[in-house]
Amino acid sequence: MKAHTVFRLTLTFIFLLCIFVVISGCGQKGPRVVKVALVAPLTGDIAAHGQGMKRAAQLAIEEALQSNRFKDFKLELAAFDDRGDPKEAVTIANQIISDPAILGIVGHLNSGCSIPASQVYAKRNVLMITPASTNPKLTQQGLRNVFRLCTTDDVQGKFAADYAVDKLKIERAALVHDKTAYGQGLTEEFQKEFLARNGQVLSFDGIDVGEKDFKALLTRIKGENPQLIYFGGMHPECGLLSKQAKELGLSVPVFSGDGIVTPEYAKIGGPATEGDYASMIGSPPEKLPAASKFVANYHQRYPKNDMQPYDPYTYEAINIILDAIEKTGGDRNKMIDYIAKVTYSGILGESSFDERGDTRNKTITIYTVKNGLFKYVD
Amino acid sequence: MFFQQLVNGITLGSIYALFALGYTMVYGILLMINFAHSEIFMVGAYLGFWALSLLPVWVQGWTPGYFTLVFAIAMMGAGLLAVTIERAAYRPLRRASRLAPLISAIGVSIFLQNLIQVTVSAQSQPYPDTFKISHYEFFGVQVNSLQIFIFALAISAMVLLQVFITKTRLGKAMRATAQNHTVSQLMGINVNFIITVTFLIGGALGGLAGVLNGMYYGSIKFNMGFFPGLKAFTAAVVGGIGNIKGAMVGGFLLGIIEALTVGYISSAYKDVILFAVLILVLIFRPSGIFGEEVTEKI
Repeated sequence: MKAHTVFRLTLTFIFLLCIFVVISGCGQKGPRVVKVALVAPLTGDIAAHGQGMKRAAQLAIEEALQSNRFKDFKLELAAFDDRGDPKEAVTIANQIISDPAILGIVGHLNSGCSIPASQVYAKRNVLMITPASTNPKLTQQGLRNVFRLCTTDDVQGKFAADYAVDKLKIERAALVHDKTAYGQGLTEEFQKEFLARNGQVLSFDGIDVGEKDFKALLTRIKGENPQLIYFGGMHPECGLLSKQAKELGLSVPVFSGDGIVTPEYAKIGGPATEGDYASMIGSPPEKLPAASKFVANYHQRYPKNDMQPYDPYTYEAINIILDAIEKTGGDRNKMIDYIAKVTYSGILGESSFDERGDTRNKTITIYTVKNGLFKYVD
Repeated sequence: MFFQQLVNGITLGSIYALFALGYTMVYGILLMINFAHSEIFMVGAYLGFWALSLLPVWVQGWTPGYFTLVFAIAMMGAGLLAVTIERAAYRPLRRASRLAPLISAIGVSIFLQNLIQVTVSAQSQPYPDTFKISHYEFFGVQVNSLQIFIFALAISAMVLLQVFITKTRLGKAMRATAQNHTVSQLMGINVNFIITVTFLIGGALGGLAGVLNGMYYGSIKFNMGFFPGLKAFTAAVVGGIGNIKGAMVGGFLLGIIEALTVGYISSAYKDVILFAVLILVLIFRPSGIFGEEVTEKI
């Protein structure tokens, strides 16, 4: 036999051996593997949010494993990265529904991702709880598998507009959004209430995610002489917007939503962000008695990381899914029926869902930047 | 407000123009579009970022020397990267069909983006703001020292390049190579060497644009080259690709159109209008504003 024939035969043999090992691995008996999926942007510009969500989810799973609640199951967390991209979100959603071990999904972060992905999950009746997507349309699709633990943009935008009018005495505002389902939706809700309160909307502009130069836009806005710039979008664009506004001598506060509430915001925008405002879903974790233990555990488990705004929501969502698995024995359909009726009491207080799947807890808190960090305003 | 928008547009245009020179020079010599140029811009920005944050404090004390060093590092690095790319990805394909190096360039672009994404960071990183910005106001128009610096640096780089191309022997050799490789070779010009020099200069200018972009906007990211790259390429085409003056004029023109569109029409339609201008220019002047009608080489 020639040398290369021997070589080829060896390679073929190794290849077949590998296949055999993989196949036999699947047939192994043992406790049923049960997975909870977390889908969030783990890379990309808003990875700071997503990585925080992953840490919170990991913490919830680890605590469940320690408490030994699931004797019949082998519990695992499956984390997926949707990069904040709706196309990627749908690809991952299809991947998730093809894995029968996944019983529930916590995600996505961006409304633009959650809406198309929820339709994929609905095909196989997989439970989805979003801890962060705030666009009202998500739960208006009539999908029974979709639940939302955070307050929606209509509540948040209205609250922000009322705050601007009542507390900040704003009469003229320039509105900017990032053309995403979240950013534009939130800005439209703000506009609706602001106009209803006799506020004057000077302009309504869209920018692109990833754009860096807002000087031309801000120069025009400066000419309109606003008292406030309202921005619907995420922190990378909002930080630059705030910075460039002050560079042009437009020294008015920027007001935005939950998308910018992260320490990264002031890192990008620098000192210019001081005194900017943001509305945020829920109560600050510092003020919830039930959350103090979670906050302490989180900092003990991850001493090097800041807590990100959606971490408590992610932790709670994972725990609600675990509760449903425990009570129903891990049947996808029964889990959805269970969650529709449950009143879960956890770190966010009492959570229950209305007929659409939205949480009945509709608190909003206003934050402002002080010394580079978001502090809540009473 | 018009003059303020003009200032915004000219700053933006300075960066586009520097960036566009790399596209146009390579096209002039090799008749190929170097799609990896937007990644050279990005790598240049990162090199400047590292130089700004890692150089020892005693260098940072002496401001002019410090910035010269930072720009030198970024430009040298970006220039060498461009030369390496040409050697590794384009030269082996020089005799292949014209499509082959184009695909190779896209491959290099994807490779570099992912390399930085995986090894450095997938997130935006704040650029160190070592440049002390002071603000001035002339008749109600806000101008800051960084904008003046960017404009001055871009203009001087372009003037130097123009002098180099028109007045030096090497520049003459470059113009000759652009006209015809074979005949230049017969006249004793080392064509490979000229191509290397072209990539070195184009890459260095791209790297300079990258650092200026980082300093101006204060954040950089692995895919930061894509949009400016598209605009700079458009600027090169509008000005007449292959023509150095065209790239400069095209860059400024695009920057100003962009600022004025956002200022007077709509920020959402900015790119629609920008690329509509490109189409219009191509309809009426297919070879760009400064482009000459050249009969196809046989």
